[in-house]
Amino acid sequence: MCSNLVRCLGDGNTSLQKLATSIVFFFCLSDVSCNSVEQKIYVELNNTVPCVRLLNATHQIGCQSSISGDTGVIHVLESEADLEWPLSKGPNPPYMVLLESSLFTRSIMMKMKNESNRVAGVAVVVPNTSPPEFSPHTTCPNENTGVYSDNYGPNLAHCNTTVWNPRGNGLSYEEFDFPVFSLKEDNETEFIKQCYLDHNRAVNGSAPQYPLCAMQLFSHMHAVTNTPTCMRRNDINFSINPEMVCDPLGDYNVWGSIRPYNDTVFGHKENESVVIAAARLDSRAFFWEVSTGAEGSVSGFVTLLAAAQALREVTHAAPPTRNILFAFFQGETFDYIGSSRMVYDMENGKFVIDLDNIHSVLEIGQVKNLVNNLQSSTAGLGFLLVEPNVSQPLPPSSLQRFLRAQPIPGIVLADHESAFNNRYYESFYDNAANLNLTYPSDLSPEEQLEFVTDTAKSLTDVATVVARALYKQAGGDESLVNTIKADPKIVTQMLYGFLVSSNNSWFQAVMAPELKNILKPSPPEYYVGVAMSSTPTRLVQYLLANLTGAATNLTQSQCMYSYLWVQGIVPPNSTERDSFCVRASVRLTKAVSPAFELGEYASKDYSTWTESRWKFIKARIFLVASRDLEMLTLGVGVAVLFTSLLVTYFISTKADVLFSSTREPASAAY
Amino acid sequence: MNLERLPNEEKLTLCRKYYLGKLQMYVCVWGFAFLPFLWLVNVVWFFKEAFVKPTYTEQLQIKTYVKRSGLGLLLWVAVLTTWITIFQHFRAEWGEVGDYLSFTIPLGIP
Repeated sequence: MCSNLVRCLGDGNTSLQKLATSIVFFFCLSDVSCNSVEQKIYVELNNTVPCVRLLNATHQIGCQSSISGDTGVIHVLESEADLEWPLSKGPNPPYMVLLESSLFTRSIMMKMKNESNRVAGVAVVVPNTSPPEFSPHTTCPNENTGVYSDNYGPNLAHCNTTVWNPRGNGLSYEEFDFPVFSLKEDNETEFIKQCYLDHNRAVNGSAPQYPLCAMQLFSHMHAVTNTPTCMRRNDINFSINPEMVCDPLGDYNVWGSIRPYNDTVFGHKENESVVIAAARLDSRAFFWEVSTGAEGSVSGFVTLLAAAQALREVTHAAPPTRNILFAFFQGETFDYIGSSRMVYDMENGKFVIDLDNIHSVLEIGQVKNLVNNLQSSTAGLGFLLVEPNVSQPLPPSSLQRFLRAQPIPGIVLADHESAFNNRYYESFYDNAANLNLTYPSDLSPEEQLEFVTDTAKSLTDVATVVARALYKQAGGDESLVNTIKADPKIVTQMLYGFLVSSNNSWFQAVMAPELKNILKPSPPEYYVGVAMSSTPTRLVQYLLANLTGAATNLTQSQCMYSYLWVQGIVPPNSTERDSFCVRASVRLTKAVSPAFELGEYASKDYSTWTESRWKFIKARIFLVASRDLEMLTLGVGVAVLFTSLLVTYFISTKADVLFSSTREPASAAY
Repeated sequence: MNLERLPNEEKLTLCRKYYLGKLQMYVCVWGFAFLPFLWLVNVVWFFKEAFVKPTYTEQLQIKTYVKRSGLGLLLWVAVLTTWITIFQHFRAEWGEVGDYLSFTIPLGIP
């Protein structure tokens, strides 16, 4: 019978073979495209911003993920009471908690921090409209590096008299050992919520069944412990592959003066008395780099730029006796990086003037609401300047670093008498809407650039007062004071460029050709960063040059000015830009904390903030199977392996019996 | 190398070489450092020769070499295990000293 079967198979062999090959060929043809299995499993999330780790002399703050990412079952949090599902009741820990912005509060984050073995990570959905108030900064900004300390004004130090940021919940300065990412309110977030509703919802109190929707976040930070440790590990060259683990925060300060200084002659200048007008450039938020700082910093430096422009003509026509120096400091958010560096340079003869050359300082702080009193003052403008109580300390400001070095008369101009009015201090909600910057809806971007908003008008009034005060303070001609007026058109163009879209025609005309790519259709980021190439610094440098300098035909005289080649505007009937050379006394000085120059990484006097490095940051979601199923699959695989080994061993030992026995009947048949 | 094919005197010379670590003339300096491994090789390779095979003239000496290699090996293992345990446990706490003693420092953890 066996031989009959063989004969049958032998006859039908060719047609069977043909059928088999044609079936295989057909399958090959139909699945020719390169379909990666990975794409079928994972959905990459692209519009995410991580929270990164920052370190200072004693602590680390921010978030850390494990080196191969943190995976957790997605849970969309509905209320604070719902927290007990991920933290205690839920049967499938660890969970990846998705928060709406209204639930992104200190109490919820602290509860998750305490139970962090059940929480794999947090994703926060940042909406387009702002909540009533939110400030992740501390209540007392820069409390250890100002002028008030236990030795000097102890009752004013550490916010004992005035709490500057009462709404601050301090989240930015907490340490989390799980990753926290932010998501925008867009299609990706809808997809995530839909995935949660489809797979992860508990039906009538029973646990949801596998497979469940999970999210994996990668944001592994290299630096640990504190700045001295990470700077030490940067320097160790012993291993084959030396790796940098952190970088100091810092960028450049921008400064310019009415009468120029020779950039190579440093130190004290005889008979030179200077009035310094200062503002800060930077800001921060909880998540990395996303910071708009509208009320916190933009209002201040835009006003100062407008004042500088207002002073241009009168100081050329009737120069005041003292010089006026405009200084824009970077890194002030992180323990006064820029101003402490400038004071340090002045103390050590590395700057064009000395601390003894300073006559007084006028600093512009947060000035959004300075014009809310419509009664006219003697100056004929719409607001009243009030001097607060003598027992009130100075708010956190660059002036404090100057006072720390030497007693200098100074003023800080702000719209708050005690606590900040800013409801979103150092948060990602401090944007154009916070400054009430609204444009009529039917305007094109170019028309919006030119439209003079109410905010612009009020800041123009502040700029006019500042310019007049500076001129008087510098000993200028009294009769000319009332001719000084700031230009509202320039102020509104600056507000548009710094808060709505930096890629507009005016900014394009003012910038250098090689820098035009830093202009984007969105507002610039005000985080100081580590790359020494922050967009606001460059913008302010070129704007200050444009507003205080003069367009020239390139003459090469004694160079006490800096010459900047800028793009210029496009004339109406051509496509080429009218580029020209601007001569201005605008300079950049390094704004890196003196602690890194001196190597004192544990310094208590200077800022020691560093930012960790990382390899890559990404987020993705996928369906995850239960642990039991995974173990079962593994078990079955191992069992198959051992079975096949056993079978092979068995066959090889009994080979002579098995194979000779099949031959025997065949030979017997013949 | 199949020990079964060697004559007994050569086995003895080989065992001694591994015990002393003098595999090559110029390696004798480095032999000291690799001694734990050479001793391990000695013990494993010559164990059968020294204790299991029937007696022959050189076996006594081979036995002493194997025994001494075994003792040295145990000593090295004890020392190394203690040091490795202490270092891995306390490296993070030692801060600066720990970092300078390390060859590669793990990223992102203390």
